[in-house]
Amino acid sequence: MYRIMLCCSAGMSTSLLVRKMVESANERGIPVEIEAYGVAEFETEFPRYQVVLLGPQVKYMLKTLSEKAATHGIPVQPIEPMDYGMQRGDKVLDFALSLINAAH
Amino acid sequence: MSSLYQSMIAVIEQSITPLAGRLGQQKYVIAIRDGFTAALPFMIIGSFMLVFIFPPFSAETTNSFARAWLDFSLTYREQLMLPFNLSMGVMTFFISVGIGASLGRQFNLDPVMSGLLAFMAFLLVAAPYADGHISTQYLSGQGIFTALITAIYSTRIYAWLKQNNITIRLPKEVPTGVARSFEILIPVVVVMGTLHPLNLFIAAQTGMIMPQAIMHLLEPLVSASDSLPAILLSVLLCQIFWFAGIHGALIVTGIMNPFWMANLSANQAALAAGAALPHIYLQGFWDHYLLIGGVGSTLPLAFLLLRSRVTHLRTIGKMGVVPSFFNINEPILFGAPIIMNPMLFIPFVCVPMVNACLAYGATRLGWLAQVVSLTPWTTPAPIGASWAANWALSPVVMCVICMVMSALMYLPFLRAYERSLMKTEAQKAQASAPLTGTVSSN
Repeated sequence: MYRIMLCCSAGMSTSLLVRKMVESANERGIPVEIEAYGVAEFETEFPRYQVVLLGPQVKYMLKTLSEKAATHGIPVQPIEPMDYGMQRGDKVLDFALSLINAAH
Repeated sequence: MSSLYQSMIAVIEQSITPLAGRLGQQKYVIAIRDGFTAALPFMIIGSFMLVFIFPPFSAETTNSFARAWLDFSLTYREQLMLPFNLSMGVMTFFISVGIGASLGRQFNLDPVMSGLLAFMAFLLVAAPYADGHISTQYLSGQGIFTALITAIYSTRIYAWLKQNNITIRLPKEVPTGVARSFEILIPVVVVMGTLHPLNLFIAAQTGMIMPQAIMHLLEPLVSASDSLPAILLSVLLCQIFWFAGIHGALIVTGIMNPFWMANLSANQAALAAGAALPHIYLQGFWDHYLLIGGVGSTLPLAFLLLRSRVTHLRTIGKMGVVPSFFNINEPILFGAPIIMNPMLFIPFVCVPMVNACLAYGATRLGWLAQVVSLTPWTTPAPIGASWAANWALSPVVMCVICMVMSALMYLPFLRAYERSLMKTEAQKAQASAPLTGTVSSN
């Protein structure tokens, strides 16, 4: 089971993308657990996940957030803006899986 | 054009992004924002009660339904006011606990304890107690700034004492839960021992207790926050941050929230007293006139995209239009894209500013009902605007005018952008299929 966390300001727009990513994972038969959170919940939630992807609008927090997650060895990366805008669930899912495989 | 664009990008990357990073990650800005977010649900429901208490009908109405509602609300005013008084009326309780907890979490303290410590610190200076009663005068909007300051102060004290190991040490055999409850004792003593004498000192010197004195000091800032320049400046900042791809609203609302809340409670008090509403620029004004469909008022743009001649833009329109009704427009911002797109910079920045001027002017002329209620920012704009103004009709009209303005301003820029996209598409097609040679250039 792959556990992926998405994070933006309030977890609203990322939750749109979550649906697309889950759809794509189901089609391909990949077991996933993907959730969207607001940045306020970052600290309490991230340890449960294998990777954290940030909405491009909160990319400016990348440094602080990835430093926190680094203590647990969890990679944090921003989502490519165009993939985010176009809601390309499959591409973002691939990106997340590649980060998980690289880290573990 | 392209060199201008390059230098603009350079300015954004070198100065705006770091500035936003610093502002948006500032511990206190985050704590204040989190505190208000935590308090919001209670305040939304609490202020929802206002509609029942002050139905949107005139006192002389002859409509039987309106008549019955009015009579009911008059008969049971006291009972109906209770949920309002114990949510909006004591909003500082929620805010101080929320800020204390968020800041405590950021300093690696126990959030419940730091929230409660902040709560006590606030009560100590803002709730004068006499004859078995506490005065509620400063527990609403008048006490907001005091709640911010005391929450930050008490949490800092707690953090400082812990960092410096000034704590009651118990033997290792004592369970951690018990040890933790002892850990808070010294911070409580220090906060009590400093704030209470300070409050007494201020009262003796000025004749005002702390919240009164703080409101007195901040008066010029509070009234400046309700002016047209303040609206334009805050929305300009938000738009420029967002254009750079940074969630600017997060930063701007973090700063504006204390002012909005203080002014909201002043409006509600005026409504209850039957007086003219003093304030214009409140959360509802920002959410429902300036951010129709999200930042940049892009809901009308979403409709325009649906009918675009460029497939890519049509796809974005299809994806973006439904979330746009609920003011979520990241698909459009990043997909069209608007972010860092020089061709849409002008309308993106100007639309909310023009709409701000229209709505502000209309309010000044007495045509537009003012905000008295808190609404969730995800409420579709015309409904939210009406709800915020106690279900008046004028905000709906204003929203429609703002949407028309927005469509008119986006349209020419969108057409130019479409032309440039079609041109590059045609060039690409020509370059990739030189042998067929049948691709038309226009």
